[in-house]
Amino acid sequence: MEFYLYTALFAPIVGSLFAALFGMSKKNIIAGIVPTALLFVSFLASLKLLIYILGGGEPIEVELMTWMATGDLYVPYGFVVDQVSVTMMMVVTTVSTVVHIYSIGYMDHDKGFNRFFSYLSAFVFSMMVLVMSDNFLGLFIGWEGVGVCSWLLIGFWYHKESATWAANEAFIMNRIADLAMLIGIFLVYWNTGSIQYNEAFAAMPALDSSVLTAMGVFLFIGAMGKSAQFPLHTWLADAMEGPTPVSALIHAATMVTAGVYLVVRANPLYDLIPDIGVMIASLGAFVAMFAATMALVNRDMKRIIAYSTLSQLGYMFVAAGLGAYWVALFHLMAHAFFKALLFLGAGNVMHAMHNELDPFKMGNLKTSMKWTWILMTLASVALAGIYPLAGFFSKDLILEVAFIEQHYILYTVLLLTAGLTAFYSFRLVALIFHGDDRHTANGVHPHEAYNFMLWGMLPLAILAVIAGMVFKTPYYEMVTQVLPAIEYHIHSATTYWIMTIGTQLFVIAAIVFAYKKYAKAVKVDKKVESGFLYQLLYNQYFIPQFYEEYFTKMYRQLSDMMWKIDQKVVDASVDGVANIFYNTGKKTHTMQNGNLSTMLRWMVIGTVVLLALAAAFTLGQSETVVELLSGLGVI
Amino acid sequence: MLDHILSILIFFPALAAVLGFIVHKDSMRAYGIIVATVEFILSLWLWYSFDSSISGMQFMEQANLIPAFGISYLLGVDGISLFIIIMASFFTMLGIATLTETRRIKDLIITLLFLQMTMIGVFAALDAILFYVFWELSLVPMLLIIGIWGGPRRIYASVKFFLYTFAGSLVMLVGMLFMAFYYYQATGQWSFSLLEWYRLILPENIQYWLFVAFFFGFAIKVPMFPFHTWLPYAHGQAPTIGSVILAAVLLKMGTYAFIRFSLPLFPDASVFFMYPIAVLAIIMIIYTAMVAYAQKDIKQVVAYSSVSHMGVIILGTFALNVEGITGSVFLMIAHGIVSGALFLLVGVVYDRRHTKLMSDFGGLAHVMPKYATIFGIMMMASVGLPLTINFVGEFLSLLGFYKQSHMMTLLAGTAIIVGAIYMLAAYKKVFFGEVTKEENKNLKDVNKTELLGLIPLTIIAIWLGIYPKPVLEPINNSVESVVQLMHDKAISPEAKSVIPSIAKFETQEAH
Amino acid sequence: MEITLQHYLILSTILFAIGLIGVMRRKNLLLLFFATEILLNAVNIAFAAISSYYGDLTGQMFAFFIIAIAASEVAVGLGLLVLWYKRTGKIDLDAMTSMRG
Repeated sequence: MEFYLYTALFAPIVGSLFAALFGMSKKNIIAGIVPTALLFVSFLASLKLLIYILGGGEPIEVELMTWMATGDLYVPYGFVVDQVSVTMMMVVTTVSTVVHIYSIGYMDHDKGFNRFFSYLSAFVFSMMVLVMSDNFLGLFIGWEGVGVCSWLLIGFWYHKESATWAANEAFIMNRIADLAMLIGIFLVYWNTGSIQYNEAFAAMPALDSSVLTAMGVFLFIGAMGKSAQFPLHTWLADAMEGPTPVSALIHAATMVTAGVYLVVRANPLYDLIPDIGVMIASLGAFVAMFAATMALVNRDMKRIIAYSTLSQLGYMFVAAGLGAYWVALFHLMAHAFFKALLFLGAGNVMHAMHNELDPFKMGNLKTSMKWTWILMTLASVALAGIYPLAGFFSKDLILEVAFIEQHYILYTVLLLTAGLTAFYSFRLVALIFHGDDRHTANGVHPHEAYNFMLWGMLPLAILAVIAGMVFKTPYYEMVTQVLPAIEYHIHSATTYWIMTIGTQLFVIAAIVFAYKKYAKAVKVDKKVESGFLYQLLYNQYFIPQFYEEYFTKMYRQLSDMMWKIDQKVVDASVDGVANIFYNTGKKTHTMQNGNLSTMLRWMVIGTVVLLALAAAFTLGQSETVVELLSGLGVI
Repeated sequence: MLDHILSILIFFPALAAVLGFIVHKDSMRAYGIIVATVEFILSLWLWYSFDSSISGMQFMEQANLIPAFGISYLLGVDGISLFIIIMASFFTMLGIATLTETRRIKDLIITLLFLQMTMIGVFAALDAILFYVFWELSLVPMLLIIGIWGGPRRIYASVKFFLYTFAGSLVMLVGMLFMAFYYYQATGQWSFSLLEWYRLILPENIQYWLFVAFFFGFAIKVPMFPFHTWLPYAHGQAPTIGSVILAAVLLKMGTYAFIRFSLPLFPDASVFFMYPIAVLAIIMIIYTAMVAYAQKDIKQVVAYSSVSHMGVIILGTFALNVEGITGSVFLMIAHGIVSGALFLLVGVVYDRRHTKLMSDFGGLAHVMPKYATIFGIMMMASVGLPLTINFVGEFLSLLGFYKQSHMMTLLAGTAIIVGAIYMLAAYKKVFFGEVTKEENKNLKDVNKTELLGLIPLTIIAIWLGIYPKPVLEPINNSVESVVQLMHDKAISPEAKSVIPSIAKFETQEAH
Repeated sequence: MEITLQHYLILSTILFAIGLIGVMRRKNLLLLFFATEILLNAVNIAFAAISSYYGDLTGQMFAFFIIAIAASEVAVGLGLLVLWYKRTGKIDLDAMTSMRG
């Protein structure tokens, strides 16, 4: 089995290096096909491991070699395939294989084709390291690795100022969270003496609760950065500057869920500190609502989907925070499938519309892009959580968890958010595919994407449909071998049915409302749009402006000030000291006028002064002097 | 030959430098490359013959110079100095091989070889006077390199460099003399041998004074805030080769000396001054990173980033535990490799455009993709990405210091944020966007000579990031013995509790 | 009146003071040499007197040394003076300022 583990892990990096060989030459289709094939190999190996684990196999733990060893610290390159990591591996390899296939078509005309595949496969490798590592530092390697790949890919079109700016923003904001993550790792090491998951978690119950709280908080702040939770969320929407397959893979399906994965992985820790769990859940619910509201009015197709991702991540954190780790992971998986599908569909639309992102300039694309329309509608239905698609099983479960754990406020927030989700998803679908044609006027003639791209998306579509229905039971049985096995059943059947049907009706109502409002000719309601609420949401609660004004600019100004201080104070004082000597010399050099008699006078003065000093210090102290002087009759 | 390998390593370049005067100008480059390569191979041989399981000094050589005062020619290496010596010879070789300077090349190569002698001498010397002699001698070639081959304000920069560091060293010399005097009073014998000094336990108040005296010499060399202002001038005016060696090797003399002198000689004072120095280190990290962000000149960004990283090294050193000190020694190597490479990279565009202002560039990724790639890798190494060389050192340094103070580590950890800010901003300004300047449209990508220097550095930066064990293990063994020595020597119970005792040595004692 | 050590010392002091003033005031190089000789001889007197007072010959030996060295010094000095005079035609101290700092 180790062979499959290493194959799954290293196939992507081989693909990445292979594509990198062509990095600076002209577009070469080989550079796209080989990494894709290798990813498929990785997918097959993961599948093999999944079957092995499903068949009741023991988790596989391997140690490749030592990384760092000093003092009491020992960090190996250790990997583990257990029920949790194999789930993540499947999600990652499935989505990334699809995205790779899709990208061969999507990046077809881009001159950075080879480079793109190199970055994309490198990302998959980092992600695999992240989920497969058996220690916190290995996770951190992947954590930073995906950060860099994300930086490279967001800024892929580096000639665009907005893209490079967004790339840097994402990297730096993630770094802020990574610092907290590092501190969390330090805490784990110094308190448990190990950074291996199993050893560290085994030592945790004996620790003081304040230490555990600190660990939990710092690790969670780390997770907040990657998963773009408030207040570190602004980078995710800006990250949409990257190519769309990147948004599908990194900023929807995999990387942004790393934070959820971390909390799930650290479940023994978070089980010990339920208060922090509730805090996480509350933040999650807040973000779910907060992001959904921003998605309501946005006019950028990709940003709408990005906010939707953010909102769904909030759901996952609610589940994870309330101790329903398997539910969080389940929603992570289901979400990966339908959200990636949604993004890829958006990519098709973008291509057809010549990179137009404003859905208000589209409309009635269902005639020209039938398959994309079907796929995106499917993904939106799944996202809205309509029975029997994946979203229903995973998202409704989170609502139930909140209800059963008696966090009714969270439940209400999530329920409302579910309505909002349905509304903005179908607002988007309606604006793009229905209503009147608003793009031909701009001279755009849409065309459907390549066939193989559509075929490539098909697996995701199938998964988005069946993932909930088919996978739920085997998945539950598998992961609960390592995660706390809590079945969430509402005791009273009546309550359960009222809730479920009520939620469904509410969501459907939201969808119908969205269609009614946007599937016909779009009327712009000036009064609403100039209203405070609309402006607030449209400007993303003014948070990006706030950050720009109070952090970016302040830092810039502070830096300039520091530089001035460096020159005018620190360096000037050094020069000042030097100048004292220099000026003293300059002022006194007239003494050396070259005139012998002046010099002789100075000499005499010097001698007299020295003699006087010598006399003053020794007189009366030294007995020999006293004796000598008395002998001479002076005293 | 192996018995005298350190002497050979020190004096071979010096001898070659003297012989260099009779070499013809046109063949000087080849001569320099050959000498430096031989020297590098010798240093590799030193590593090969080095027994990494021994924690003490190896390849010791001793000859009396002034027996009346116990001054001797005493050499030796351990895991801490071994890799810095190898790095010194490595960078001299790379520097000469990639030299683009054409003015007075013969003098330049002779100066570089002479500089190499002093650098290796500093790291191999175990006698305080010998150490001091090499320490001061190293100023002279660097003064010449900046003063002769430097930029427009070279005289100001070189004189400032010389006088500033020299002033600090004099205070250190007084400290050394007093230390020897105290040794004489305590034992009735004169000795400047460090190994003898290690055995002496000093009273606490004397430790404080001596610590401060040594501190001035070392801190200016590092350079620690607020003594750092000579560095940006020196880097700004120095030719590429000068900056590379200054950043890669010469700065390490200060941090190395902290570990070699301050910690084991004055353990109680080290504990006493731990927090003040940590505060300085944190100021260094954040403040200089901010200053780096404000720079308009790419070379100044790298120069200030150098100071910022040295702050992490200092912090690791004053963690006073094995993790921290090992990390800081490793980070010295890492910083040498990475900042050396960054200065080489800056030199590449400077040679082409004769400007270092970032506003004169932009969009270079279009015209110089290879250059942008290597710069990108080195930039990521500089911001401490895992699996690059810097991360190992930075992680261990911060991990070590976390044991001493949570809050301070949190502040110092902002290094990874502020570091990313100035580096990414600089990279964006130089490489991203459209090519706006006409002069930049036809810039040539890195040529073979430049690749010759850059590729080995890139490989090392990644290789040692993925597999640091060959370097980390010898360092760790030597650091463990230093920490144990400090623990044993510490007088106050507070210091004893701060400096850990190594379990390995305790069991040995029990047997 | 018997001549005691004190008298010698007073003489020595007076001579030294004369020499010192001469050194400080004179502008003629030749006269400067005279003043220097007076200074040295003042010291010689003191040496010889103290030497005889303590019955220790060291002081007198030292006086001889000084005489010998002063003689050679004057020889060299006069040589330089002659050379200087030949070159510039005067031996005025105020004109010799080539060592100005």
